[in-house]
Amino acid sequence: MFQPFRFILLILIAAGVSNIGVTQDKGVFSGSFESNANVFLRDSSINAINTPQYDHQLFGSEAWFNLNYSIQGFTIGTRFDMYYNSNLRNPDASYSDAGIGMWYVSKTLNQLEVSAGYLYDQIGSGIIFRAFETRPLFIDNALYGARLKYNFNDNWSLMGFVGKQKNAFDTYSGNLKGLRLEGFLSLGSEENPITLAPGLGFVNKTLSDEYMNGIVDVVRTYQPEDKFIPTYNTYAATIYNTLAFKGINLYTEFALKSDDVFYNPYIEKHELVGNNTLGKLVNASGTVSYISASFAEGNLGVTAEMKRTKNFSFRVDPNLSLLRGLINYLTPISRQNTYRLTARYTAPALDISEMAYNLDVRYKFNKALSANVNYSDIKTLEGDRLYQEIYSEIIYKHKRLWQLNTGIQFLTYNQEIYETKAEVPLIKAVVPYADFLYRFTPYKSLRVETQYMSTEQDYGSWLFGLLEYNLAPRWSFEASGMYNIDPKKPNVKGNLEKALYPTLGVTFFKDAQRYSLRYVKQVEGVVCSGGICRLEPAFSGVRFSMNTTF
Amino acid sequence: MRSLTFILFVFAMITFTGCDEIPVDISDAPIPETDRVVLLEELTGASCPNCPKGSKAVEDILERFGDKVAAVAIHGAFLSEPVNNRSKYDFRNPKAKDLENWFRPFLGKPCATVNRIELNDPDQKYASVSTGQWQSMVENELNKPNLMTILMTKNYDAATRKLNIDITAIPINDLDGSYNITIFLTESNIIDAQINGNVIIDDFEHNHVLRDIITKFDGDIFGSDLKSGSRIKKQYTYTLPDDNQGLWNANQMEIVVAIHKSGGNERTVIQAAQTRIVE
Repeated sequence: MFQPFRFILLILIAAGVSNIGVTQDKGVFSGSFESNANVFLRDSSINAINTPQYDHQLFGSEAWFNLNYSIQGFTIGTRFDMYYNSNLRNPDASYSDAGIGMWYVSKTLNQLEVSAGYLYDQIGSGIIFRAFETRPLFIDNALYGARLKYNFNDNWSLMGFVGKQKNAFDTYSGNLKGLRLEGFLSLGSEENPITLAPGLGFVNKTLSDEYMNGIVDVVRTYQPEDKFIPTYNTYAATIYNTLAFKGINLYTEFALKSDDVFYNPYIEKHELVGNNTLGKLVNASGTVSYISASFAEGNLGVTAEMKRTKNFSFRVDPNLSLLRGLINYLTPISRQNTYRLTARYTAPALDISEMAYNLDVRYKFNKALSANVNYSDIKTLEGDRLYQEIYSEIIYKHKRLWQLNTGIQFLTYNQEIYETKAEVPLIKAVVPYADFLYRFTPYKSLRVETQYMSTEQDYGSWLFGLLEYNLAPRWSFEASGMYNIDPKKPNVKGNLEKALYPTLGVTFFKDAQRYSLRYVKQVEGVVCSGGICRLEPAFSGVRFSMNTTF
Repeated sequence: MRSLTFILFVFAMITFTGCDEIPVDISDAPIPETDRVVLLEELTGASCPNCPKGSKAVEDILERFGDKVAAVAIHGAFLSEPVNNRSKYDFRNPKAKDLENWFRPFLGKPCATVNRIELNDPDQKYASVSTGQWQSMVENELNKPNLMTILMTKNYDAATRKLNIDITAIPINDLDGSYNITIFLTESNIIDAQINGNVIIDDFEHNHVLRDIITKFDGDIFGSDLKSGSRIKKQYTYTLPDDNQGLWNANQMEIVVAIHKSGGNERTVIQAAQTRIVE
């Protein structure tokens, strides 16, 4: 990082600090702090073993301290990041580092906004470009560069950027350039207004020599049938629009990508010796079509979504894998569930071949009773089943005394594809659930969750129960257990044994501060955050977390 | 103004997309003429769905470079457990696990180190998950000057299963620093279950499986500040176990020797050598 600039930035921030509480017109100072600390307690019975944290480090921690200061059209900010024996970057490894994780400067000059540093932004829904942060998955895809945004008027703006993608405390080589034109149009009459929010986006990725050499090193070893000549530049463009008319809201986006080198894990690679294998670098163009339509009238709300994805893996370097170097973000179409067992098998968006539909219907019968039904259907473009979910929910509120959320989920999940597991059948599960909240007083309440997952596949059936006692506005106490009531998967000893994964926790709130201390045993599973998922190993230990904003 | 913006936007896109590039050269590099032998250590496992791809990459490299590459398949801990109800053998052993942990962090399996060169990547310090790049990593190492000659003789008594190994190393240049020696015993042509993507192959041929390390997993002390032309000799004796399960078949086993830097994070292999226990 450019040290003198960092020094200046710190001085500016220090100047901002000195102004706090003096006069309001000298600027606004804001920030946040977030920290996690894990004590790792080795438990071979649930496979919480074989990482440096369990073997000898025993403790790991992360912290982020963010400071922002705004004055006279300037906004500056920086963030200190710390990772100590952290398993966030790679759940099976330990990562330690600390330093300035992000800084930026932004200035508004009449109609022009100029920004430099580590920037977060996106084009459309993110299909061709999204610079974003998802801390639980160690994703911080900020753009390290410069951005200009010109506001022609209140409705139309043009934004352009150039930069590199952030990679922890470094950047990936190669660079990204982009343009975004967005506007707002109001049509129709005053009684029947129609609004349009159209947009156009364009991104150019240029590979660095380092990454090109990496591609050439791979491609030149391929058999003649698989060889191709890669190019340094890839272009992606998108056109999108939001139409609003009365209760109807229609978002449409179509994106395409020119020939780009990416890794396709499902395609056959010819081998020099023996049988062919699956997976190779390919050079192909890609498309994504995405439509989201919603309708609300009286007590009825309906949302329908469709997304078709073909060859839209878009990374700064095609030799990167997992969640590294992602330039874009593909919206997952399936419902984002929150209960432990209904969220156990979640379908992340796939970037090579996916045809996804979702229909969500909500109806409010009266003040006390409402219902929600959701249907998701995801297949590959070749028609192979990836995911299917029917989810229902009934919400009943009895005055202010108690509330019941209950329903049932029917699920089909392709574990082979989503978790790369061998010879496993499609998971078919039925999950009835109930969430009951009882308020003793306006400050004291008890929440009880019960869920049962009935399945013959993977680990077998589960029972989950949770008790949460809330003493508003300060305290919340939690005890929960996830019980493998009908196990189908042998444990490390090779036995089919029922296993309990308990959690005990207490959370304390004060002003804008939140402190949480939990004892956790957690089964291996897919962890999702912001629609992005990864397979996490089992966890056993004590977790402390706190966050605050100011 | 809107029209102007739109025109500018389209102009920018045409400008970018209209640029032709000079095609890059993807022709294969010639095989280097060298006496250097490169150590290729692959982190693998019977329960690792992508590992057959790594095994294939290793076989392709051996097919291309022959005895210029010494391969070791390390079944350590991660995804290395036997396949449930399908595996006959468990290839894991304590030194394989120690070695695997020594190469952390790595991003996943399969991954491989070539002469234990640091990758300048905090997610994968020594072992690269990019199977397609292993060949070029090998080529890079073969293109470096040879710094040492290793002479290895062995004597195996089938009756007692006792193996004697004599190693003589002759530095070609003066070599500063400290060096360790590691001696691996590997076994090939083992037919057993292996997960491959979403299927299980019951008759997968496992090759170069690390069965044991005669030295400490991170090597025994070999010497410091080695002088050009000097002869450093080491002698080891090992008795092959007889497990009556079909493993430890001396006819299918190899000895792989590596002399590498030691101390701190210094692990770079200077030279490797290999020979079959029974010719």
